[in-house]
Amino acid sequence: MRHDGLVLILLRRELVAGLRAMRRRDLAWIGLGGGGLLAYAIADIVIALHAAAPKLRHDQLLWMLGLPITFGALGCLAGNAMSRLCLSRAFAPFLKALPLAAAERRRMAAAGAFALGLPLTLTIATSVAVACAVIGKPLPAAWSLGAAILFALAFGTAALWRLRRPHLLIDEAASEAAPVGRPWLRRLDRARPRWLSSWAWKLPGGLLRPSWKLAAAGLLLAVAAILGAWASLAGRTAGPAAVAGLAGGILVFMLSLRCQPLGSPVLRTAPIGFSRVWLRLVRLPFQLSLAFFLLPAGAALAAEPSAWAVPVASGLWLLVLNGAYAVFGAYFLDAPFVAMLSFAGALAYASYETLEYGRTVLIGLAALVFFLWHRTRQRYRNG
Amino acid sequence: MAEVLAVNRLSAGYRGRTVVCGIDLSLRRGDILGLLGANGSGKSTLIRAITGQIPLLGGSVMIGGVDLAAAPERAKAGFGLAIEPHELPAPLSGRQYIELVASIRGCAPNDLPGTDLLERLGLGRWIERPIAEYSLGTRAKAAIVAALLGQPPLLIFDETLNGLDPVAAWEVKRVIAALGASGRHAVVVSTHVVEAVPALCNRAMLMADGSLGRSWDEAQLAEAGRAPGAFEQSVMHALRGRQAA
Repeated sequence: MRHDGLVLILLRRELVAGLRAMRRRDLAWIGLGGGGLLAYAIADIVIALHAAAPKLRHDQLLWMLGLPITFGALGCLAGNAMSRLCLSRAFAPFLKALPLAAAERRRMAAAGAFALGLPLTLTIATSVAVACAVIGKPLPAAWSLGAAILFALAFGTAALWRLRRPHLLIDEAASEAAPVGRPWLRRLDRARPRWLSSWAWKLPGGLLRPSWKLAAAGLLLAVAAILGAWASLAGRTAGPAAVAGLAGGILVFMLSLRCQPLGSPVLRTAPIGFSRVWLRLVRLPFQLSLAFFLLPAGAALAAEPSAWAVPVASGLWLLVLNGAYAVFGAYFLDAPFVAMLSFAGALAYASYETLEYGRTVLIGLAALVFFLWHRTRQRYRNG
Repeated sequence: MAEVLAVNRLSAGYRGRTVVCGIDLSLRRGDILGLLGANGSGKSTLIRAITGQIPLLGGSVMIGGVDLAAAPERAKAGFGLAIEPHELPAPLSGRQYIELVASIRGCAPNDLPGTDLLERLGLGRWIERPIAEYSLGTRAKAAIVAALLGQPPLLIFDETLNGLDPVAAWEVKRVIAALGASGRHAVVVSTHVVEAVPALCNRAMLMADGSLGRSWDEAQLAEAGRAPGAFEQSVMHALRGRQAA
C-alpha cells in the first residue's frame, strides 16, 4: 500500500476541521471582509503599477537583481516552511507506532511539500505575468516563466535540504523535553505568575539550552547594533543608530514573544485576569528589546547630542510597535510566525496607505489592534 | 456562606450548539458530589462551564456567592480544578508548575491538606523532572496537587482519578473524604468508576444527554451503598432507561 498522499490528507482534514470549528459569523467576516480587502489591495497595486509603469519598465536593477533575489528568497522561505510542515505530519506522534520506515515518511512529506509548492509557483507566475501586462513590459510570458522557475528552484532546494534532515525537527522536539542547559532565566522568571516565561519559551525545567541558532541570532543582532552605532558615530548623525535601535528592538521583541500559555486552562481557570498574564508574558521580551535598543540609542545620542529627540522618538515608536505586536502575538497564540507575518503585513499596508491618505490611516491600525486585544481577552475569559 | 456553588438553569455548549441545558445544582460545604454519566453525556462540558472555560449560553454560576460571569477572577479564587493531564505545561517541572499555580493563588507552594502529600502520592521523585516526561498517572497527580493548593472551598476533579495507581487513588480518596468531613470544602468528582461513588461521595448526580438524569442524596446513596452492587445497578438501570427512551 502506498502512503504518499497521507500527509496531504492529514493537512486537508486539519484545514476542514479548523474551518468547521469556526463560527459562521467569523467565517463570513474572513470570507467577505478578507476577500473585499484583497480585491481592494489588488486594485490599488494595479493602479500603483500603472502609474509607475514607465519607470518600472526600464529599471534594469529591479529586473536583473531585485526580482530574482526576491523570488529566490521567497522560494527558500516557502520551501523550508512547507517541508517542515509536511515533515511534522509525516513524523507525527500518532503515526509513530505504524510500520512506516523513515524513508517512506520522508517520501510522504516530499509528496506533500511539492503538492503545496505547485499552487504557490502558479500564483507567482500569474502575478508576474499580470504585473508585466499592466506595466507593458515586453515578453510577459517569458518573465513569468523565469520567475516561476527561480521560485521553484529555490523552493525545491530548500525543501530537499530540509527533507533530507528530518532529524533536525525530531531533535528539536526531543530537546523540548530534555532538561539540559543552564538556569540563566530563573532569576528573571520569578515574578508572579512564576515560570511563565520558561513555559512560554518551552524551556525544559526552565533551563536555557545554548544552541547554534541562539548564538547566530545573538551575533547577528549584536553586529547590527554595532554597525548602526558605528555609522552614527562615524557620520556624526543620530539617524542610523536610532533606526538600527528601532528595527532591531522590534525584531528582538517579535522573535522572543511567545503567548501560548494564554490558551491554557491552567491560567484560564485560575484567579488571574487576562491583562495581568498578558503583561507578564510581554515583560521579558520587552526587557530584551530595551536592552538591545540601549546601545544604538546611546550611540545616537553621543554622535549628535543636539538631536536627542531622534533616539527619544525612536524609543517611543519602539514602545508603540512592541505594544501593537504584543496584541498580535497574543491573538495568534501558538502561531508566532503567522503573528509576525500579519503584523508586518498590517504595518506595511498601513504605511503604504498613509502615503496616500495621510496619518489618519494609523487610526485604522490602532482600531485593529484594539479589536484584536478585545477578541483575545474575550477568548481568554470565555473560550 | 455555606453554599459554595450555585448553578441556576445553566446552558452551555460549543459554537452556539447547546450541549448541556437546564442544569440546577447547589453544593454546600461538606458535600462530595459524584458526577456520573456516559461518554458525551455533558459532564466535562458542565465542568468547563462551571470553571469559566466556555461561555454560558444561559443561566448563571455563582461560586462562593460571586457571579462567575460578572467577576471571573474573584469567582475562580473560590475553586481548585484538577485540569486534564494533557493540558499541563509540559516544559515545566512538577515543582515549577506547583509554584506557578501557588504564585497565582497567592499561597505557599506547600499549602496543601495534610503533610507529605507529594510523597504519599508518589510524586516526590518526579517533582524536579519536566512534566513532558511524566506518565498519564503522574500528570494526574500533579494536576490534583495543584488543585488542592491553597485549599480552596470548592474542589473539582474531572475524571482525574481514573488514571491513578491504586495507592495514589486511595490517598486522593482519603484526602477528599477528609476535606468533606472538615465541613470547609465541597468537592465535585466526575468519574466513570461507579462503584467508588457510594464510599466516597455523599451526593451523586447522573448526567444523560446534557441534562440531569437522576440524583441521589446522602440517605439514598447510603442506602444504595449498603448492598454490594446495588448502586451500580441503579445507575445502569437509569442509563439503560435513558437509552431505551
